[in-house]
Amino acid sequence: MQGDEQKMTLLSDTRYIFIRYLTKLVRTPILLFFSLFQPILFLVLFTQLLGKLSDFPGVLPPGVAYLEFAAAGIVMQNAFGSALQSGNSIVADIDSGFLQKMLVTPVSRAAILLGRLSSDAFRVVVQTAIILGLGYALGVAENKPFYVATGVVGILLIFFTLAFFGLAWSGISLALGMKTRSSETVFAIGGVITFPLLFLSPALFPLSFLPGWVQTVSMFNPVSYCINATRALMINGYQWSTILPAWGVIGLVAVITMSATLYQFRKVVS
Amino acid sequence: MYFLVGVDKTPGIIEVKDLTLVYSDGTKAVDDISFDVQEGEFFGFLGPNGAGKSTTIKILTTLLRKTAGTVTIAGYDIEKQAPEIRKIIGVQSQETTVDGDLTGRENITLQGHFHQMNSDEIKKRVNELIVLVGLEAAADRRGRNYSGGMKKRLDLATALVHKPKMLFLDEPTTGLDPQSRAAIWSYLEKLNKEEKITIFLTTQYLEEADKLCKRLSIIDVGKIVASGSPLELKREIAADSIRIALENCQRDNTKAKELIKTLKNVNEIIDNEECLTVYAKNAGLLIADIVRALDSRDIRIASVTFSSPSLDDVFLKHTGKRIRTEELVKAPSPAWGGARR
Repeated sequence: MQGDEQKMTLLSDTRYIFIRYLTKLVRTPILLFFSLFQPILFLVLFTQLLGKLSDFPGVLPPGVAYLEFAAAGIVMQNAFGSALQSGNSIVADIDSGFLQKMLVTPVSRAAILLGRLSSDAFRVVVQTAIILGLGYALGVAENKPFYVATGVVGILLIFFTLAFFGLAWSGISLALGMKTRSSETVFAIGGVITFPLLFLSPALFPLSFLPGWVQTVSMFNPVSYCINATRALMINGYQWSTILPAWGVIGLVAVITMSATLYQFRKVVS
Repeated sequence: MYFLVGVDKTPGIIEVKDLTLVYSDGTKAVDDISFDVQEGEFFGFLGPNGAGKSTTIKILTTLLRKTAGTVTIAGYDIEKQAPEIRKIIGVQSQETTVDGDLTGRENITLQGHFHQMNSDEIKKRVNELIVLVGLEAAADRRGRNYSGGMKKRLDLATALVHKPKMLFLDEPTTGLDPQSRAAIWSYLEKLNKEEKITIFLTTQYLEEADKLCKRLSIIDVGKIVASGSPLELKREIAADSIRIALENCQRDNTKAKELIKTLKNVNEIIDNEECLTVYAKNAGLLIADIVRALDSRDIRIASVTFSSPSLDDVFLKHTGKRIRTEELVKAPSPAWGGARR
């Protein structure tokens, strides 16, 4: 009985904290602008700059436009960027005293973290949907193929993969935020991590196109797996031999970052 | 060691015994303090910055783990039964914690949800509270557009949403202008009197402690140095003063001094620019005697001014220093600035 009640509290508390973070996001236009603007800019810029890659035979798989190829990298980059800023919200709540204000109420402790994480995941899904929609519109406009080979279920799996990926990397940002209590550090580390991992992966270029050492490094880059899985779902179909390992790698990252987050969270809460 | 009056009284809603808190860097923020607060009381901690007031409140509100001692709130153990305690306390921390992206109404509502109240209950309570703290006009504006005083009032409302049995207020008026401060004071007195909420308040303002607290402890460098009602505390200082101006001071000065000297409890009489100052214990009781004595010898009095010691004198006596508070923030209107001492 008591367990049921606690579960109910956890769910409803998570919901209210989730709503709070989304409300804050929607009412902070600058945050909303940047979180949407950058991926859209990347999508348009990269596909315009590098669109000619499809003209070289053998670089991209036959029949695949660069737009279609790059979309997987762009949605990943977007999820990555959002996830790595997640810790700022916790820093802000610690600084303002809002976290303490929550902690003197009976609110479920787990809900404080789950509310944050679920709002991060939701944000990633919405942004991914917008980017895919824009990609589709660009495809129509330029008369290039842009469709998801696995259909509606595939799109849902893409959402799942990216939300899961986002959560795994939110963990780093949250743990750092709680440890350092400095949003500058969170921003800086976010930037430092994003770009090398992004460019040392097949996000924007096919592996075969990249120098040998980058190919080697990218095999050890956890980000590569997420891109490959998303790309498989978009272009090739249910290629489970690519998708399942990706989920495995994301899961592994999640276990590590969430342990760090939980450890730091316990220190903050007690 | 200070002991409260009364031996077989009922256990207090707050019971603190030998409480000590040492931070990880070795700082002893709270040093073996004991006190209790009775249900319905308005109790205060008066002390300067860094005295250990906030640390004590953080322990009492389950935010900080004590190093030693025992604390119970409404009979619940502070560590073993923290979740029970969180259901019945309301807390306003020193930092104003209003979510600037949410409206006033949303801020209070969210706290209601954190207390697992149902939506109808919350709606009703939010409307009541908005009226109580006088934020009707601003209730649907975002918190970031509120003035400092409005934020404090909203913060107070969020702490009251679940009708707490007790309210912890950590320097609720620090940094406010006198007008906002007076508003907060009147809400607090109302809550204590009408809703019977037990209030524990910390402050560095003598005036605030004096006006609001029925009983208080003076705290300095982590220790309680004195406790009692503001009046009791000030009575310990045997230095009330009565300034007397005579119509003809030159002629009557010596005669008056001799008369007053014979009265009970008079410590010292000195000349001042108006005529005389009499220092005495409980001098308020002496005024009538002085007037009568002088009158009986046809010494005519021009004026009598009585002044009692302030809590600052009490603090000075126990710690050897004065509470250093920054000058109260003056309201923009000069009428207000002049009204305060």
